[in-house]
This record gives sequence, structure tokens and C-alpha cells, in this order.
Amino acid sequence: MLNYIWISLIVFGVVVAITVDLNDQSSNKYRNGMEFQAEIQLQKPFGVGVNTSQDATLMVSRAHFEQFYGPKTVQHDTILQPASVTLTKDGSGTILLSADDHTPSIWKEMSRAAVTKDKLSGKILSFTRGGDDRTMEAIIVFEPITFVRIKQVTQAALDYATMAVNIALGLIGIMALWLGIMRIADEAGAIKLLARVLRPFMKFLFPDVPSDHPAVGSMIMNISANMLGLSNAATPLGLKAMEELDKLNPRKGVATNAMCTFLAINTAGLTLIPATAIAVRAAAGSSNPTVIVGATIIGGLCSTTVGILAAKLLQRLPVFRKQLDGTEEGAKP
Amino acid sequence: MLKSLVSFLSIIAIPVLIFTFLLWGIFKRVKVYEVFVDGAKEGFNVAIRIIPYLVAMLVAIGIFRASGAMDFLTIALNPITSLIGFPAEALTMALMRPLSGSGSLGIMIELMKVHGADSFIGVLSSTMYGSSETTFYVLAVYFGSVNIKRIRHSLPAGLLADLAGMLGALFVCRLLFF
Repeated sequence: MLNYIWISLIVFGVVVAITVDLNDQSSNKYRNGMEFQAEIQLQKPFGVGVNTSQDATLMVSRAHFEQFYGPKTVQHDTILQPASVTLTKDGSGTILLSADDHTPSIWKEMSRAAVTKDKLSGKILSFTRGGDDRTMEAIIVFEPITFVRIKQVTQAALDYATMAVNIALGLIGIMALWLGIMRIADEAGAIKLLARVLRPFMKFLFPDVPSDHPAVGSMIMNISANMLGLSNAATPLGLKAMEELDKLNPRKGVATNAMCTFLAINTAGLTLIPATAIAVRAAAGSSNPTVIVGATIIGGLCSTTVGILAAKLLQRLPVFRKQLDGTEEGAKP
Repeated sequence: MLKSLVSFLSIIAIPVLIFTFLLWGIFKRVKVYEVFVDGAKEGFNVAIRIIPYLVAMLVAIGIFRASGAMDFLTIALNPITSLIGFPAEALTMALMRPLSGSGSLGIMIELMKVHGADSFIGVLSSTMYGSSETTFYVLAVYFGSVNIKRIRHSLPAGLLADLAGMLGALFVCRLLFF
């Protein structure tokens, strides 16, 4: 199951990226090699600073921009794009655009895929001086931009691999803290007591787990931490519970029914206080950020109920039962 | 009233829990320091064990997100989901939620910027964000920590739960805020 989902995410992603890139290529979305006309406002008057780079502003009207790149490519009526310009004596030069918040999205896309990252370069083929000694009309050809999506996909693969390691390493400290505390609670008998209090409930959810097993206490603490929105504590407690559940696992490497039910509850994510969502709403200027609390609890109850039912029903399907018994085709004896 | 009680609980829960367990341990004559260090030693191993599973999962999701495949999926599913009154904007949210926590957080912020935090779309997207978890991430971390590769029915169960959560959120929001 996971094999197929995993490979589909990758294949679907790469195929879409290549298709979109080829389509952009054939329609020349980025207008490679085409001459773009723009007014440039220089910082220094003409004649000063030839052959050195200087700050300048590119000014393009919306109508002109959309005529060149196609409709719906800009939000603002006039584009004022900061750039650095180098002019040479023979009347040509180079230009370098650094993308910022006001840059039109197509230029942002182009600069992300440019040779030097986030800086879109171009050649000034020729220019004519405007009314005063600092403005000019220039003809620009930007560097050719190709395979934008596939470059992004490659970058994402590398970035996410690094991110995965960072997330795991970030867990070390908090894992150590909670595993240490849990070991004390375990030796003191607190975990067993907790399990005894909620015995009937846990017996229904996890019939395969003996009710005085340490896994039960850990699971209760993980679920409570999740409900209170304490994700920092919930993950270590959940991993502790998984470790305990794995001690009851006759076939290492294959998930047990109890694990699947436990994870169904975890992925359903019932929270009494959706702290992140509330914080984002407050930051976005909501007049009542906590208005979603009731709705969130109902949504969480829906997903938790369906998650438990689905786990309980699916575990009876022959295909999943066989994996547990080790009698499926191709299994090692 | 209930809201402030729950938020009070979530603030004091961790310190109270740690304090109680420590006191309990001392009361039961557990050698607290030695036992703590013994338990904490495992933290490193667990975190390291997760790495390959997390890399595999996050790289696949990263490729999927960067390719823009989500846009196509949204376009393909929209005719079906609009039959039950699922707004197209929230559909992206519903599809992203089980895949990526940071991705769905970004979508929620973006939707609130465009439509306003108190608009129907704003309320709906934040309800959806709050009423579910990042299924793929949780599965990778939890099963990875005990080296489990065959996860059996937990993925379909998790995705069905997500579907129910999204539909529940939509239903409640339509009832209360539409």
C-alpha cells in the first residue's frame, strides 16, 4: 500500500513537472530570446560610471507587460523593479534584477530558475536617451529560462531530505527528556495505575494489549497530550507507546492491529485547543480567532470516530489479516 | 468558561506531570537520577532510527508539492466535490492537510490573506487545519521509530479519518458560519 502511494507521489510529481516544462517551452512562456522594451531610470547621469554597475529602476506599464508576457501576469498598474545596470561605451550593457515582494510573479519564477539564484540577468542590446540625463529607453533580452519546474523538483528533493534529518535531530533532546521521565514513572508504577483507571475504554480499543501493559499507559498519555495540543510532549510519548507495542509484536517489521488503531487515533488528531490555527487567525486580523474551537472539536470527533471504525473494520479484511499471520503470498517462511 | 479551563490545563499539564512523576518516584524510592539517565539514553537511538523513514516520506512529498501536481489534482477533483458544495479553495487545503503540515499551514495563511480571516473560506480552512493531523508524517515517524515497513491498513484508516474530518468541518462550518 505504502509502496504504491510513495511511488505515485514521486512519479506523478516528476511527470507533471516535465509536462509543464515542455508545455512552457513550446509556448515560450518566458519569452526566451525576445526583445523586451522598458524605461530605465538611472541613479547617476549618463557618462558617469561607464563600465561599472549602478542601481537603477526599471519602469514598465501594466499594458506593455501584459502585451509581452500575456494577460494576468501583473497585479500593479506600473511595475517599478529595482535592478543594477552596467552600461558600456558602445551603447549596450547588462542588467540584473533582484526579485522582491513587488516583482511580477513571472519574473520571480524566472529568477528562481536563473543561473545565479534569485537574480535574473539580461543583456541591454541598445538604448536611447530619454528626456533628462538619467532616463533611457532600453531594449533588453533576458537570459534564457528553461525547465523551471524540474529544477524546483530537484531542489525540493534535496531540501526535504535535509529537512527530514533536521526534524529527526531536533527530536533528540525532547525525546531524551520524556523517555527519562517516563522511565521514572514506569518504575514508580504510575503508568500502570493510569492504565487501570481507563481499563474498560482501552480494552475496547486495544483488545490485544494486556490491560496492565506499560503500552496502555503511554498511549493514554500520548492521546491526552494530543487533545491538549501539547505536540512537543505527544510525539515522544507516542513513540514510547510504539516501542511498548512493538514488544508485543510477534512479527517485527509488520504493524499489529493495536498499532494501526493507535495511529488511526493519532492521525485523526482530535484537539480541544487548535493553538496553531487560532494563532494564525489572530495574526490575520480576525475579530474572533477562537470562533473555530467548537467546529474543530466536532471535525476532530468525526475523523477520530471514522478512524477507529475504519481501523477496526479494515483489520478483518483478508489481505490485511494475512500480513499479520504471515500467510500472504511471497512471505518468507 | 470551558475554553479557558482547557487552555489553563494545557499550560500547567507538562510541569505538573513532570513534578508528579518525580515526586512519585522519590516516594516509591526509585533512584530517580540514575533511572532518568537510563531512559533518556534511548532518545538518541529513536531519533536516529526515524531518519531514513522520514527522508523517504518527505522527499516524495517535496517532489509532489514542487511539481505543482496539486493544481492538477484540484482541477480534476473539483467537479466532483463541488456537487456537495465543497469550495474549490478549500479543496486544496483538504488535499494538502494529510500530506504536509507546513504546506497546509501556508495554504491556510494564503486563503486568509485573500479572503479574510472571518470570511467563510477563512473559517473553514482554519477549522480543517485544526481538526486533522499530518497523516503521512505521523505514519513515517511512528512506524519508523520501531522499524516497521509493512504498515497494513493504517494508511487507508488514516486517510478515511482525514476525509471524515474534512467533511465534518465543512458540514459544521456551513451550519454555523455560512
